Amino acid sequence: MNFLNPIMSSLATTAPIASNADLNFLERMFLSAQSSEYAGSHDFVFMVIMWLSIVFFLLVMGPFTYFVIKYRRKPGVAIQRSVSHNTPLELAWSIIPLLLLCVLFFMGFEVFISGQIAPANAETINVRAKKWNWNFAYDNGALTDEYTEYVATDVPVFAIPAGKPIRLVMDSEDVIHSLYVPDFRKKIDIFPNRYSTMWFEASHAGERHYVFCAEYCGDQHSQMMAILDVLSPEAYDQWKLDNVVSIGDMYPPDAGEFLFRSQGCNACHSIDPAKSASTGPPWWGIWGRTEALEGGGQVTVDENYVRESIYTPAAQVVLGYPNQMNSYQGLIDPDGINAIIAFMKTLSDEGQANYEAEKAAWQAAKDAAEAEEQATEQ
Amino acid sequence: MSTTNATSTGNDSHGDGHHDVSYLHPKGPLWVTLWDWATTIDHKKIGVMYMFATTFMFFLGGVFALAVRAELFMPTQVNEAGEIVGQLFANNIYNRMFTLHGVVMVFLFIIPAIPAAFGNFLLPLMLGAKDVAFPRLNLLSWYVYLLGAGVAIIALLGGGIDTGWTFYTPYSITGTEMHRQVFLMTMGAFILGFSSIFTGLNFVVTVHKLRAPGMGWFDMPLFVWAIYATSLIQVLATPVLGITVLLLAIEQAFHVGIFDPALGGDPVLFMHFFWFYSHPAVYIMILPGMGIMSELIAVHARKRIFGYKAIAFSSLGIAAVSFIVWGHHLFTAQTAMANAIFSALTFFVAIPSAIKVFNWVATLYKSGIVFNTPMLYALGFMFTFTIGGVTGLFLATIATDINLHDTYFVVAHFHYVMMGGAGIALFGGMHHWWPKMFGKMYNEKAGIAGFIFVFIGFNTTFFIQFLMGSQGMPRRYATYVPEFTIYHQISTVGSWLLLIGFLIHLFNFIASLRNGKPAPRNPWGGLTLEWTTDAPPIEHNFHHEPVIHHGPYDFEDVVPPFCDEKDYPLPAPLKPSDKKH
Repeated sequence: MNFLNPIMSSLATTAPIASNADLNFLERMFLSAQSSEYAGSHDFVFMVIMWLSIVFFLLVMGPFTYFVIKYRRKPGVAIQRSVSHNTPLELAWSIIPLLLLCVLFFMGFEVFISGQIAPANAETINVRAKKWNWNFAYDNGALTDEYTEYVATDVPVFAIPAGKPIRLVMDSEDVIHSLYVPDFRKKIDIFPNRYSTMWFEASHAGERHYVFCAEYCGDQHSQMMAILDVLSPEAYDQWKLDNVVSIGDMYPPDAGEFLFRSQGCNACHSIDPAKSASTGPPWWGIWGRTEALEGGGQVTVDENYVRESIYTPAAQVVLGYPNQMNSYQGLIDPDGINAIIAFMKTLSDEGQANYEAEKAAWQAAKDAAEAEEQATEQ
Repeated sequence: MSTTNATSTGNDSHGDGHHDVSYLHPKGPLWVTLWDWATTIDHKKIGVMYMFATTFMFFLGGVFALAVRAELFMPTQVNEAGEIVGQLFANNIYNRMFTLHGVVMVFLFIIPAIPAAFGNFLLPLMLGAKDVAFPRLNLLSWYVYLLGAGVAIIALLGGGIDTGWTFYTPYSITGTEMHRQVFLMTMGAFILGFSSIFTGLNFVVTVHKLRAPGMGWFDMPLFVWAIYATSLIQVLATPVLGITVLLLAIEQAFHVGIFDPALGGDPVLFMHFFWFYSHPAVYIMILPGMGIMSELIAVHARKRIFGYKAIAFSSLGIAAVSFIVWGHHLFTAQTAMANAIFSALTFFVAIPSAIKVFNWVATLYKSGIVFNTPMLYALGFMFTFTIGGVTGLFLATIATDINLHDTYFVVAHFHYVMMGGAGIALFGGMHHWWPKMFGKMYNEKAGIAGFIFVFIGFNTTFFIQFLMGSQGMPRRYATYVPEFTIYHQISTVGSWLLLIGFLIHLFNFIASLRNGKPAPRNPWGGLTLEWTTDAPPIEHNFHHEPVIHHGPYDFEDVVPPFCDEKDYPLPAPLKPSDKKH
């Protein structure tokens, strides 16, 4: 992706972000990796405009530089007379650029329209944007469990297939966001009151691509990212099967941790004892902690406070963390709240020390129950 | 000698017992003088006050720009010890700073800078008038500007607005404490809008009614044409800003859904309203700069401007087209049909701008160029504005705009047009008319040194942003992925060079005011009327009402007033057989 410094470390540690090394020099200066057919047609238009701009620039700057060098004022020398008006010249330099611009318009319009309507066989993924998290919901109920650490948050990694059209149907939970994949040359604004759609077909399996939020949305706007992991169609189908999650079957603290990431709690709340994210109260050691509240008073973090803070975040706000959170009513069900509470309880030295033993005990009890169930069935 | 300089020289009297003094001449003790300035209806004093105010705003906005660039010198990262490094300001502070930079530069600096400061000072002088058509309205618009600026700065500094200068809903109306400040800020913009409308109205009437005897429409300097076109936009577009603010107020007060999706409103409607004003406002910013360019090129190349009518009408053309292209800010938000229409219309605005550039280049043919600070700025403008212009083609084309929208490519493009166009023209104009405004020369060597720093610093700061933007670096990011580090570092170093350049100019001007050499009336050999009066001008501008006998750029036929014929030899007259018209 980088033309000046191609070996600088990239964010994705497991697999690098797609490189633009196969483009020519001028393209490499201005464009990221070309990772879909649409990106190729976009880049053709881009380079046509680029060359037109270079030629036009030289056409202006050439005579300009020549005149500036040649016609310096010499003391006592009269300046020559010359015409100050020439209608054919004025018409020529108005009409010729106008015709060229008409060509540009049609090229840009044609490529744009070609990228508008998704093929009929496109697979739909529902995308939910919110402050400050992307969530891709696959048609079989799969959700990602892979995250890459970035600054003080985790960036989700979503699988997409190579060579198969994908259609994103997107809406926003709160403000305007914009999904932008530079390597696909596509971007669309996402609104809270309508669906926006975008489609693309990734060319190369094994590449990874950045997803950025391109419409300013507040404090963590610059960290509202995701990574697309392009898999072969077979690997993608397998990934989808492997990633169907049933929260109810998971160890409750693990289910809570899953929700913590998939619902984007991690954008504002830190769980690392060394770090404190700026936007929301850190979760390390939160369970049972007494917090001072905005407007006076204090509260002990217990089941009711957690539940209230998730469903009506503005009710009791911890001092020093002005409320930026929206209600999760309808997004996280009561079972989910219980899971998050279970997760919170593990976020202390003591909780961590007991985690493995308690999980093993839970697993043993679950296995025993399942064995018994099977036994009774037989 | 020209017939326009039939006025007597020096500060002598008319024989009516009234002694002509410079408009800068103190009226008495300090407080009397201050009161005189505060209540003045003299367009020159109002223009100078605007100039000091907008210069202050420029440095205020510039401080925030430097802070933004400093934050972006390093990406925010977590090191192996788990500590956050590379972060000067928290995200929410960064977001407030880029908002402050944008709002201050757009609403408080660049929109009023050229029309209100230079327009006020120069328009009546160039037309040969005693003042603008409505001097009291002019004073009112100055105080309305101060009030609006005060409200805006209280809102910005008091609560800290982090919405960006576009105030997009619903982010800007989410009900936290911080966002209530947005309403105060938009009220500030509303008030500033009235200042803009008053000034525009005043200038339109002044151009229509107060031209000197003998001055037809095509005898007006091109700066006047540009200000006239700008004033038309100000009068026609600014009310939409007022309507938008009123709708925001109605929505908040009565919970009628207009822009807020939670009430059934539509955020895209706000985008349309916002850009319906703010796109024409882009031309309020650049058109006066183009006007300054025409003056600088003609005077310092000592050449009749090529294609006078083409340049004059292209100003009106730009003003007209500016009203119908706002939708190109919404290519990622509106329907495909709307995209097609707005893309096609946007290409039309490229033509009149290109016509101006071609005509300026043609003006240089067989001219006599001097390389002083104003001319260097004019030549620099040709370079930066052409880059700003051609990169606009990428953004008018739908397919490429979809990719480039809200990236640093857009940031680079509009800085090349606003700063590299309007800004650079402004600095050139400031050096050009400084001797007339204050009656003192500035130090030419220091001016040229300042220009070199500004020009190199500007291009270093912003050219690299085209590259990172088209590679996918989104704008308004407090931090970025590590691939973009080197680009941001080059850009930040450029911003320091810019700072050095501006400080050189600032100290040069201060030194000029304190002990600059007295300026002659016509240091550059201009032919427009402002050069025929004293430097600084007398209170009522001209000793006698000027009468026009030649065009503003007839350098081939007229020795400029108050200039020595030895320095300005006229070419031999054409033989009758050579004459075409």
